[in-house]
Amino acid sequence: MTEHDPYVDWIAREAKRPVAVDPMAIERVMARVRLEAPPTVRSTRWRWLVEPRSLPLSPLVGTALAAGLVGIGAFVGHLSIDRGGQNLIGGSAAPAVNQPPLALSSDTNVIKFVLVAPHASNVAVVGDFNDWDSKATPMTRTKTGGTWSVAIRLPAGRHVYAFVVNGANGSTQWVADPTAPLAPEDGLGAPNSVVLVGGSAS
Amino acid sequence: MSDDAADVQRVLSGDVDAYAKLVDRYYDRCARFAIRMLGNRDDAEDALQSTFLRAYRALGRYQERDRFSAWLYRILVNQCRSIAARRSHRERVFVREEALLLNAPDKRPAWTGEDEEFVQRVLNELDPLLREAFLLKYVEELSYEEMAALTGAGVSALKMRVKRACDKLRERWERIRDD
Repeated sequence: MTEHDPYVDWIAREAKRPVAVDPMAIERVMARVRLEAPPTVRSTRWRWLVEPRSLPLSPLVGTALAAGLVGIGAFVGHLSIDRGGQNLIGGSAAPAVNQPPLALSSDTNVIKFVLVAPHASNVAVVGDFNDWDSKATPMTRTKTGGTWSVAIRLPAGRHVYAFVVNGANGSTQWVADPTAPLAPEDGLGAPNSVVLVGGSAS
Repeated sequence: MSDDAADVQRVLSGDVDAYAKLVDRYYDRCARFAIRMLGNRDDAEDALQSTFLRAYRALGRYQERDRFSAWLYRILVNQCRSIAARRSHRERVFVREEALLLNAPDKRPAWTGEDEEFVQRVLNELDPLLREAFLLKYVEELSYEEMAALTGAGVSALKMRVKRACDKLRERWERIRDD
């Protein structure tokens, strides 16, 4: 089972045994669920709005956009370490630049996440605001410089997040925002980043 | 249509009781992962409550092409990570380690609470990323591709984590056996 190591097999076998569950636990889940509004299916129109798509830009506009983005942030470093300390992108490791999330408006709480990852095939932002779902908030690539961005509405408060960068070779890399404050070490091997909506990150 | 997909459709049609079937179907398996991952039942129940609540809220975003169990597990794994991150201290489990080790693994003991405590202690000693990978691979018996979809890590990284977890467990056993 586990490379035929008797001791490791024993641990796995014991860990696989069912655990005793409080018979009222499911009732407690359902009592909480019944307080919730019914879940709704996202409409086709909404799905169309949030699907990633290419936005054709003239060279002039693209250059201006790239200059503006790069002007905000500073070059930070290479993306070569994943959440577990493994090099995933390998030979195609993508130098990336990221700007701190920018609160476009403190009233609307729209936060723009930007990452420069020229060799990525797709990028998403994940965090406690989307259940760390790498499919929930895809970022859109601009035509210039391999810059990826997405603007999302967030409630006021502290949010922990990271970027999921998929390389052209099929590898996946979880990356903390190199220019934003890091969340306290969670014991899981790689820090995430923090943004405070309605205030400065700390 | 699978039972899961049919129940999801019923929930989305307004039948909240159909969600109880989904919870009932997956609670025990999720509880096993959460307890093994977090090391204590209080944190595990917190993780389970928030997992099933978040899954309910997000049910409209569930895509039928995905397996419901995999979708739910992705939420569970992330909830366990969040709770581990929030936890300011870890409960230390004290067990009579040497006495328990005499029973493992050659003298296969009958199942007792002590064995469960010992196994949990051994798992707790692993780095959380290694523990997560080990549990997903050898306890939940997921493929590396499924694990990659759940964790966001690459297959090669996950293989490395599982191997390191096995090495750590093996080293631990050899160290104590040689003492």
